Amino acid sequence: MKMLQPRVLLFLAAGIVVLNGFFPALWILLTSLKTEAELVSKPITYWPHNPTLNNYVQAFSDQPLLRYLGNSALVAIGSTVLSLFVSALAAYAIARLNLRRRQLILTCIVASSMFPLVTLLVPIFETMRSLGLLNTYIALIIPYTVLNLPVCTLVLVGFFQSIPKDLENAAMIDGCTRLGALWRVVVPLAAPGVFTAGILAFVNAWDEFLLALSLNSSASMRTLPVGITLYQGEFSFPWPIISAALVVAIVPIAVLIALFQERVVGGLTQGGLKG
Amino acid sequence: MATASVIDRLRDPSEKTLGVLLLAPAFLLLALIVIYPIGKLIFNSFFDLRLSGGGAARFVGFENYLLVWQDADFWNATKNTVLITLVTVPGALVVGLGLAMLANLPFKHQWPVRLALLLPWALPLAFAGLIFAWFFHTEYGVVNDVLRRLGLQGPQEATMWLLRPGWAMAAICLTIIWKTSSFMALILLAGLQMIPKSLYEAAEVDGASRWQQFWGITIPMLMPSIIVALIFRTITALQTFDIPYTMTKGGPGNATETLAMLIHKTTIEYLDVGYGSTLAVCMFLLSMVITAFYLRHVGRSA
Repeated sequence: MKMLQPRVLLFLAAGIVVLNGFFPALWILLTSLKTEAELVSKPITYWPHNPTLNNYVQAFSDQPLLRYLGNSALVAIGSTVLSLFVSALAAYAIARLNLRRRQLILTCIVASSMFPLVTLLVPIFETMRSLGLLNTYIALIIPYTVLNLPVCTLVLVGFFQSIPKDLENAAMIDGCTRLGALWRVVVPLAAPGVFTAGILAFVNAWDEFLLALSLNSSASMRTLPVGITLYQGEFSFPWPIISAALVVAIVPIAVLIALFQERVVGGLTQGGLKG
Repeated sequence: MATASVIDRLRDPSEKTLGVLLLAPAFLLLALIVIYPIGKLIFNSFFDLRLSGGGAARFVGFENYLLVWQDADFWNATKNTVLITLVTVPGALVVGLGLAMLANLPFKHQWPVRLALLLPWALPLAFAGLIFAWFFHTEYGVVNDVLRRLGLQGPQEATMWLLRPGWAMAAICLTIIWKTSSFMALILLAGLQMIPKSLYEAAEVDGASRWQQFWGITIPMLMPSIIVALIFRTITALQTFDIPYTMTKGGPGNATETLAMLIHKTTIEYLDVGYGSTLAVCMFLLSMVITAFYLRHVGRSA
């Protein structure tokens, strides 16, 4: 009995954490398998009686869900690649070059993320509107790149500093130029850091709502969060179909997180700047 | 000769030139998306500028600021934003600390627990809002059903969570706490794992109770992580938009409208850029004041 007790308590503790984390997603999955008739029966059912995949078919046919998925992927990947490139250059300069005030430079980049995005929404909207860029991918890719600069730079500076300088010097003695050494030695060694920063940037861009809602609201340019939120038909909110769409939207990000959990946790605790 | 030396310098630039070259793209982007918009924002706040009318901007001095001061909607949104911040930041800290301590137990398999903390973090705020709006649905929501099963609600009565001002605010705060506590837990878990076990062993030898160990070792050792998490949470809480927008659209009436939602409505829906800019400047000043006040107090108590 005394041996058993701690194990039971452990199981209970894990149960609480797992239930807290998974229940909303699980409930949405169950809802997505119910028929409309079952959904409005009372008392409500927990387990679907006649599971159906019909809601998924409707989720794709009612609205351009595939298009939303594509938009989200394009914007997220585009801004991730761009912010990795820009922040890798900056992080290398901060971590490696013999610059004065390097701490100040890093602080400047990081502090820019403290600025409330909402307040910048007005001038960004106005600028994009006057440039005719509303409802284009660029309108989101550029702000998202800036949004992710602080996290990426912070994570990458840490990684660059952990690579021994001697390796780089050796490459330069062997005839590499400085940029050659950066490209051939530092970048491959920093690949795990680049990858970690990349996942964080991707999730940030995939999740963003306010700018996507304000800048790209035309039906064909919506990202997933905007598209699904504006699903609300003229009459009522079709919950089973919304749930199916949510499941479709959550799966890619859940798979990504599940595959690279340790990297994500490491990156978050090192430079995590997201609520 | 001159071209040769330029090529030489390009091939192997000096530290300083290289530094400027490498930092240029980052600062160019920051200038474009942060610095220039800040200037533009302040400039526009002194104009009557509506994109809908097609008329030119008219300089009005401080008139917009005077209007903000007298604007009941502004004060209502400010009250809601501050309320959400005051409730959800400490709320997420307490829940997050609880989750982190549970997750820190010596499990054989770490991944289910870690994934359970990561999933809410990775979920878009807008999705959390939608999912919880369904939870809090008056007729078919799981929350009312559980309350009924527990006997806390009669079979005929049903709390209209999202349709009554106070309940709607409560539902929104609970959703924000659920969504943000997992990020807190991840940060605090990393802090917990850095506390040396020997400290607890020594306390055990000295006869300290679990409760004493918690307040004497865990909390003080966690303080740096707690402060980092609190600062980030406060800054993001002041910008709350996604969850109330997806759950209630600010309703009923404007009982759950936040400053971010008011700015979005004024600018994007009504296209009133001048007044929207003034609101944004006021919101920025307000969040500066709160953050500074907060940093001083939290910093002092640490």
